[in-house]
Amino acid sequence: MKGGSSLLSKPLLTHELGSLAKPNWRVKAIAGRPIEDEDIAEARSWGRRLGVDGHEGLLKLLGSGPLDADGKAEVKRWSSRYGVRLLETVGLDVVYDGEQQRSEMYAWAIDHADGFEWRGSVRAFDNKYYSKAAVTGPISLRVPYHNEEFELMRDFARVDLKVPITGAYTIADWSFDERYYTEADRAAHGWRKRRRDARQTFIVDVARNLIRPNLEALIGLGAKWLQIDEPGGSTSPQELDLFVESFNESVRGLDAVFSTHLCFSDYNLFFPAIEGMTECRQFAVGFANYDSRELGTSSEARPGYAVLPKFRDLPYEPVLGIGVLDIHTDFVEPAELVRDRILHSVEVFSDPARIHVIPDCGLRTRSWEVAYAKLENMVAGVGLAKQSLGI
Amino acid sequence: MSLSVTAYQHGIYPRSEALVQATRDVERGRTTVEAVDAAFDQDRAAFLDIQREAKLDHISDGLLRWQDLFRPLVDSAEGLDAQVLVRWFNNNSFFRAPKPNGRPTFRTLPGWVLENGIPESRVATLPSPYLFSRAAQFDGDRDTLMKTLTGAILVPAIADLRRTGFNVIHLEEPWLGYYGIEDDSWAPFEAAMSVLRAAAGDSTVILHTYYGDVAPHGDRLRRMPVDAIGIDFDETDAEELPAPWGTGLLAGVFDGRRSVTEAAGDVSEFVAGVVERLQPTSLFLSSGTDLELSGPQVAPLKVRALGRAAEMLREIL
Repeated sequence: MKGGSSLLSKPLLTHELGSLAKPNWRVKAIAGRPIEDEDIAEARSWGRRLGVDGHEGLLKLLGSGPLDADGKAEVKRWSSRYGVRLLETVGLDVVYDGEQQRSEMYAWAIDHADGFEWRGSVRAFDNKYYSKAAVTGPISLRVPYHNEEFELMRDFARVDLKVPITGAYTIADWSFDERYYTEADRAAHGWRKRRRDARQTFIVDVARNLIRPNLEALIGLGAKWLQIDEPGGSTSPQELDLFVESFNESVRGLDAVFSTHLCFSDYNLFFPAIEGMTECRQFAVGFANYDSRELGTSSEARPGYAVLPKFRDLPYEPVLGIGVLDIHTDFVEPAELVRDRILHSVEVFSDPARIHVIPDCGLRTRSWEVAYAKLENMVAGVGLAKQSLGI
Repeated sequence: MSLSVTAYQHGIYPRSEALVQATRDVERGRTTVEAVDAAFDQDRAAFLDIQREAKLDHISDGLLRWQDLFRPLVDSAEGLDAQVLVRWFNNNSFFRAPKPNGRPTFRTLPGWVLENGIPESRVATLPSPYLFSRAAQFDGDRDTLMKTLTGAILVPAIADLRRTGFNVIHLEEPWLGYYGIEDDSWAPFEAAMSVLRAAAGDSTVILHTYYGDVAPHGDRLRRMPVDAIGIDFDETDAEELPAPWGTGLLAGVFDGRRSVTEAAGDVSEFVAGVVERLQPTSLFLSSGTDLELSGPQVAPLKVRALGRAAEMLREIL
């Protein structure tokens, strides 16, 4: 693997952002449900298409009836191998495994931490829910929870890796607090300040005691680039300073490249707070969701990218990963549209080395067929942009 | 000091794990619509039992079928749509923003809202007109939209609710505390509330603020033409509200976003102090926000504590 820093300076570098959908054969095998012929056919078809060596072993495993714990673990490993190969086959520069080993970005972290207890399902919207935990005791890392998957990827991937990790702010924000802000605080004079102080302590404890040890473990195994995912980052505009502090506490002094992923927010809210995130070498930000589908490279043609100058003007000059694929729709962005989004961004930055090209977010809500087509066109769009820029 | 205490639970109540699973399964084709209906019925019956046990004065169906605070209203109207997901204030939860796509015209609330099998006295929860107009996806003048939504949607909805035995109309108003309000928008807001007050007839109307400190708006709020103003005391300091209050008060004293259940004794003691200072003309007791985000393990504990706190408070007052 290359050093993270040199990799980062490659103009118009492409990478994914984390999750891919979990194949039916993986879901059913882990849930202990019967594997149908069509599931095996799907595994065969993708195995051939992606050139996954030895995938016949997976087919045999899937056909062998109900699986024990070892069998299920092996199915998950196959799912990771398929995920990596998909991302490599479309031509991305930097890949991971589509988070095939993990249950879900929050639950996976909580399940490997001490100090939390589950409190049941809470609705996110409509009939979608998430499991929510409460912090009830001292927070610590029970076991580094990305090591196994990283070691698997490190030995299997043909191109460079970037490890996505759920960030401290998001973990704290998605949890109840039964430890830091107490009933005594709530009843006391000055309760607002106590609540704020408690919140800060909670978030920083997650950063120091859960996220940072995980990062250290991964770096010890050779990880060069670690992406801190913070979908909760802009939940509360009044707490952006805490979000920044949590990032800094997580990564300060560690020897790797750190980036962060922000999505589906009013990104203007992050300024000026993220001026303090000096260790963040790249922001990976979703824009396509807000943009027009018409071609054009002017500011008027690209309304979804209006906030770019604010990222450009950050004093520590981070790279910006521009989201060019809307992950909420099966619409496959034409390569020309991707090209124009890139050319507009390069023009704003006046430097292609500060632009990377990515999907808006993880593609887990899309089928593999759609994800493949979208990513393939993204890579083709980068080719067109490079041609146009003469690089 | 002698003041009656009325306790009830407003807003959306969390779905049980069984109902969560059923609604998930039906989307994946793993169960039937009938099985989901049965799960809804079980949850409603369980929530009814909890409210009876807690001896609440008004009863709610928990809005268990509501996908968000606006959806049944949008689905009952022509000229309104709801597609885009928008964050519900500073929560990890989202609603589909109502979007006018023509002249809003109300038909009638669905049967499962009106004939929900809950005994009287029933409490209904609706969005406040200010919230409704601000949460909508809309590029025009939002005060004009507020007037339109009030007349075209909320008034006929209240008429439906009154006709079917709802005699408390609880209006959720988190926008004011969280985002504030322009001076020029107060008059249209007050006008909209006057229209709703008239539409509600002899029903009790509560305007409930939460998700922010409303002490700066206390003077305007207490002059609103409603029976009581709801205050979330996890966000607004009672000592910063004007006294005497001069109208009814709904004390929102159970935090719907925390998983710790408040002690009934502490709550009743706290509210007694608030009453002594603010001298409201009537007193209602409930949660500060609805309980949906507290989850199915915690919410029943809070409703039971609400009942106990009301009982203790009655003794104190």
